[in-house]
Amino acid sequence: MKIFDPHIHMTSRSTDDYEAMARAGILAIVEPAFWLGQPRTHVGSFVDYFNSLIGWERFRASQFGIRHFCTIGLNPKEANNPKLSNEVLAMLPRFLAKDGVVAVGEIGFDDQTDEEEACLLRQIELAAEFTLPILIHTPHRDKKRGTIRTIDVVRRAGFPEERVLIDHNNEETLPIVLDTKCWAGHTIYPNTKMDEQRMAALVKKYGTDRIIVNSAADWGISDPLKVPKTIAVMQEQGIPDDAIQTIVWDNPVAFFAQSGRLDVSDLEKRPAIDRTQKFETNSVLRGDQRATD
Amino acid sequence: MLTAVERVLADSLGPERWDGSHSPLLVAYATAPQHVGRDALFLSPADLDALRSAAPGIGFERWTRDDAARALLLIAIRKRGRTGDAFVSDALECFEQGDAREQQSWLRAIALWPEAKAFLPTAIDACRTNIIPVFEALACENPYPSEHFPDRNFNQMVLKAMFNSIALARILGLPARRNAELSRMARDYAAERTAAGRTVPSDIDLAIKE
Repeated sequence: MKIFDPHIHMTSRSTDDYEAMARAGILAIVEPAFWLGQPRTHVGSFVDYFNSLIGWERFRASQFGIRHFCTIGLNPKEANNPKLSNEVLAMLPRFLAKDGVVAVGEIGFDDQTDEEEACLLRQIELAAEFTLPILIHTPHRDKKRGTIRTIDVVRRAGFPEERVLIDHNNEETLPIVLDTKCWAGHTIYPNTKMDEQRMAALVKKYGTDRIIVNSAADWGISDPLKVPKTIAVMQEQGIPDDAIQTIVWDNPVAFFAQSGRLDVSDLEKRPAIDRTQKFETNSVLRGDQRATD
Repeated sequence: MLTAVERVLADSLGPERWDGSHSPLLVAYATAPQHVGRDALFLSPADLDALRSAAPGIGFERWTRDDAARALLLIAIRKRGRTGDAFVSDALECFEQGDAREQQSWLRAIALWPEAKAFLPTAIDACRTNIIPVFEALACENPYPSEHFPDRNFNQMVLKAMFNSIALARILGLPARRNAELSRMARDYAAERTAAGRTVPSDIDLAIKE
């Protein structure tokens, strides 16, 4: 089974996680830009963060045989400070132009304020300008209303729905998303959002069309192996392997390939690990030069 | 405790020593526990009077000695003439440069200040924290949100409290601030929890206006 985790915040994770993910069959990942658990107060913090997503983190992943892509955007939690958000929006284009940036995201609503809506709309325009797909974060609180409002904004902007992935769905929002042409992501978390059993039940009910699952592992309680663990539960529940393969590989690959920046034929081969490589004179070896594939 | 705070003031924020710059104030604000400890607050009648006279309606039940010392420190700089815009600037600096404990102390005391309204954007933003003790410092045993928050922000705060299993009875002024939109959000939350096979908070009715 080829596995693509289309939403995981590796910046917060360890090299042990990368090793375990590679062992479990994860070949490629997308790391969306999001908030880091506490608010940033200067635009420079975003510049450094985006640079680490397109540089250092991609290099770190490669040292464990995992292909790393990212999405760039201003998350809704930090969209509520107008001075900061305007500065961040102004410098997004130079990052959206880069290789390995496969969507604008995570963008969307958190508290569902007018400031959040303005930043969402502006970033939809940027996605249109750079012909990129969009990764939408749906809010934790008042999720159903927030999901409906997000779809309204996408439609008002005239953005093609097939280039929109709406994430963190649950039993109530999935049918709403499937009524559109948008794709539907599901975050499998240990305690909140969605779990493996509920996910398997949703697949049985709705099938595999435009359905995607991810771990969204980050700095909170989360698990970078939730996609492989969900595969195991779906298999136990009798969901056929080809259906599972559609969900954990074909769908995320097809969605992000719309960026024109995924080499699909290359993606299936695990990249060779060469740990003598360095990123700007920095390696993951910390002085131990023995490690090889 | 007032004595300890007066000593700090004399040492680093005395009239001859303090030029009004933020750094000595931030150091004094941060180091409060070194002078008074971190124990739960058992108020002497004098301290209680000092706080109550400035702060009708604040629940001091969960305050610690360093929370009180920080509040007294800010009361003291006001007495030295730092009021209005100067106080807003001083106080905001204490919040923005504070660690999680200092921010907790700051939020617990927010309703004390005549300039409280000027802190509304900071208070709304503080609700976006993922550090639950910081969230509780504002949302719970604190009259500020019900007095100052617009409905939308108040509703989000109540929903976030539910989301984090915080007893709604701890939100001061909730009964009077309930509204149709909050009731709708609470009912939707109950439906979402039920659809996910999860329990619904037993006190959810406190957020619903019949």
